[in-house]
Amino acid sequence: MALLLKNHLKLAKAAIKENRTRSFLTCLGIAIGVASISLILSLTGSISQLIHDEIGEIGSDLLVVRPSSTKDSVTSLVEELTSANSFQKSNLTVSDVKAISEVEHITAVAPIAVSTNTVSSEKNTFSSVTVLGTNLDFIKIEPLSLHYGAFLTESNHENSVVLGHTLSLALFNTINSTVGKTITIMGEKFMVVGVLDEVEKSISFDNVDFDNALIVDIDSLDKITGSTQIQQINIKAENTDSLSQISSNIERTLTEHKQGDQNFSVAYGEDITHPASSLFVVISGMLTTVAAISLVVGGIGVMNIMLVSVAERTHEIGVRKAVGASSRNILMQFLFEALILSILGGFFGLVLGYTLAFLLSIITPFSPYVSLEIIAISFLTTLAIGIIFGIYPAIKAASRNPIDSLKHYR
Amino acid sequence: MSENILIELKGLTKRYGYGDTESFALKDFDLTIKRGEFIMIMGPSGCGKTTLLNIIGLLDRATKGEYVLNGEDVAGISARRQAKLRAKKIGFVFQNFNLIEDLPIIENVALPLVYAGYSKTIRLKNASTALKRFHLEEREYYFPYQLSGGQQQRVAIARAIVSDPEIILADEPTGNLDSRASHIVMEELKAIHEEGNTIIMVTHNPSLTSYATRVINMLDGQIDTDIKTVADANLPQPISVKIKKKKQQQEGFISIDTDEDKKTKKRKKSRRRQ
Repeated sequence: MALLLKNHLKLAKAAIKENRTRSFLTCLGIAIGVASISLILSLTGSISQLIHDEIGEIGSDLLVVRPSSTKDSVTSLVEELTSANSFQKSNLTVSDVKAISEVEHITAVAPIAVSTNTVSSEKNTFSSVTVLGTNLDFIKIEPLSLHYGAFLTESNHENSVVLGHTLSLALFNTINSTVGKTITIMGEKFMVVGVLDEVEKSISFDNVDFDNALIVDIDSLDKITGSTQIQQINIKAENTDSLSQISSNIERTLTEHKQGDQNFSVAYGEDITHPASSLFVVISGMLTTVAAISLVVGGIGVMNIMLVSVAERTHEIGVRKAVGASSRNILMQFLFEALILSILGGFFGLVLGYTLAFLLSIITPFSPYVSLEIIAISFLTTLAIGIIFGIYPAIKAASRNPIDSLKHYR
Repeated sequence: MSENILIELKGLTKRYGYGDTESFALKDFDLTIKRGEFIMIMGPSGCGKTTLLNIIGLLDRATKGEYVLNGEDVAGISARRQAKLRAKKIGFVFQNFNLIEDLPIIENVALPLVYAGYSKTIRLKNASTALKRFHLEEREYYFPYQLSGGQQQRVAIARAIVSDPEIILADEPTGNLDSRASHIVMEELKAIHEEGNTIIMVTHNPSLTSYATRVINMLDGQIDTDIKTVADANLPQPISVKIKKKKQQQEGFISIDTDEDKKTKKRKKSRRRQ
């Protein structure tokens, strides 16, 4: 058997070499699919890495509560894709935050409610600015520092606002003398009390770009928007030792508080790096789908070429069968050819994908994320494509009648 | 002498089509072939010659009937087993040579050994030996289209004998050749036969029957006349052919050399020397 496998491999190599252009174009189809998949996986990986690093900065004593379930990534992906805007579906409320704050061994609880609104200063007006509603505990949890002024405090949290670094520049063309000025959010006037330091990271586990956001008290936000949706509740524990205990305590308290509604999840440690943002998941999901479609198209290309190859080599099949090849031998011969075509394509695709990822890393904050996992996924995908799209032509070749095939001429 | 019987066909029937279109290529066909015979099958087109050859060569199956090859009933065996037997026990020679155009001739010759499961070294060595026999050793890495028809047919014959088969089946091997090339090919087949090989050949050319030990005329799927041109006793007895057959020996396919066999061998050798 091993001898035959070697022979199949040799034959496949010869057949691919014989039709160089044809094989190259077929490989290209697979390569494009694999390139896009490895590019997407590499970028997703790099984003997770960024968030992971951030968690490291914050410290490992962080827990987060998110609406719906993050346990099963496939189900949650489907949920995210099927709901038009999951911001609207969040079932976490301000009273939940209060309930959580009563759990033992935690030091701070801060809700994250994100919405986009039109914001204007006396000079400029911007539509769709990220407005983050939270409470005073927020600054205890986040590793943010203030460039100027102060964060929201007990005495001034009503109708006060802390601006992101870039947003401050955009609204007032300055950072330093912004404090004390007023901005208008949906017709309500807010006073600027502080400006954040530049963060230079567009991605965080809160799914907020702090440079371009402004932070207000959640009650104030509730007043102007009518209904506030809390996407996430950040919790800081006293220490890192009993996170699982605290996590289950929070879960129990919250379930009790919400009368049995369990559409939320508590995550800590590595689990937080799971991309929380629905938008992020939706976009990467869509890209993956598109890549998968292109991979299927590439697979159809392999099938097409293999069918041509089988038709061209009918006579050869007849001869091989006459001198003792079994149907299985013929099947393996053609399956190997399809497999080598797709694996070759997969290899080129991986190289292409990473080249693109490196090029992209020059102009974006991403750093290409190379892992054995991605290589293994690409390899297995191409293997599967090769088998799925190679089996039909191979079966067709194997089922040829030797007597009829021998009469067949090119 | 029952161990000398190589092929036994009993009541072999091959039907094509059903109902109104039903026709029989073979009808209750009985035939016994002994080791070492050189059989020519003649007859008009459509009398079932090629069908018979395909069934004997395990490329086709009879609709009903018995087929015993070398003591083994092979009528109902699996397609896989059929393929295995084709690789090891049967050599085909076709009218149109049927070489694979993309392979150099040495690999064409070695093809049956691939499926019989030999390693590459043995394959190439045996193929080379077989080609040398037909004086084609200098063309080992030529491609089939670079050879003349006669040379191609000799390559095909080399391929047929490379795995040292029990039986060689030739379907009009001279049909596409001119008379000179035909003559060379027939001389080669004769030489192979004289080494003890069994050959069954289909032909349209009556002048070739002088090479045969037995001539069968077929008509409408049945035997019309069956003439033995040489007395049985004078048939060349099987001897082991030069090509390496280690594997086959283990499986016990080799004929047992009786004392009598050895004597004939000696006799034949001395005859050749003279």
